Amino acid sequence: MFTFLQTQQAANQSIMLQNGKIYLVMAVVCIVLVGLFTYVAAIDKKIKQLEK
Amino acid sequence: MLHKKWWKVLSFVLLLYTCTYGFLVKVPKLDDRMQESIRNFFFHVPMWFGMMILLFVSLVYSIKYLRSSSLVHDIYAQAYAAMGLTFGILGIITGALWANYQWGSPWVGDPKQNGAAIALLIYFAYFVLRGSLVDAEKKARLSAVYNVFSFFMLFPTLWILPRLTESLHPGGQGSDGNPGLNGKDMSANMRTVFYPAVIGWTLLGVWISTLKIRVQMIQLKKEGLL
Repeated sequence: MFTFLQTQQAANQSIMLQNGKIYLVMAVVCIVLVGLFTYVAAIDKKIKQLEK
Repeated sequence: MLHKKWWKVLSFVLLLYTCTYGFLVKVPKLDDRMQESIRNFFFHVPMWFGMMILLFVSLVYSIKYLRSSSLVHDIYAQAYAAMGLTFGILGIITGALWANYQWGSPWVGDPKQNGAAIALLIYFAYFVLRGSLVDAEKKARLSAVYNVFSFFMLFPTLWILPRLTESLHPGGQGSDGNPGLNGKDMSANMRTVFYPAVIGWTLLGVWISTLKIRVQMIQLKKEGLL
């Protein structure tokens, strides 16, 4: 019964809270990466305009 | 190459892959001294690989400058050296953080740590030299000659001396070859993340370097030097 409840609880938990919340860290790193690339791409675009 | 888009997208895709699969991939447990911290291999080590590749590109442009005396080559050499040095600084900081928890202290005087610090100081001097000269041509010529010297100082400081003595880093005395390139020393799973990570980080470094190059080309044109 106890283990059944535990698995039930795990199923109800967000994926972000599973496996020691490692997916949460992964999501944070991905946001940083996307932000960083967006910024570099924006600079690239700006320089392209200056080159014209 | 400077204005092509595909390799910038490739860099993003490879790094997104590194930052997701790098956390999920099964890593060897061995005696469990490293635990999950071995995943730093996907982030700390590519900084050094990226640094070496970018500094090599910088060397090529410095030699090109010495043959052509074209200021454009000097701009390329300087931009790639700056980004290579940035990777090196990130490598030494991430290394110190990892060492603090793996070896017990951020600086343990490991031969590779010391060698890397010396190599970075030699490259700092490249920028000190550049900053101390006003005349553009003299600056370009002297720094190109110095850049050749500083690249070849990577051989003893990073590639030879740390391997002749015992080292906490992989690849010290008693082990064969380069642990990053010698496939036998890394599990097949880890290799599927490590090599894309190296390519991804290096391409990002190239991208940022080209941005600096393009800005300086615009400045040269403005000053009528190009």
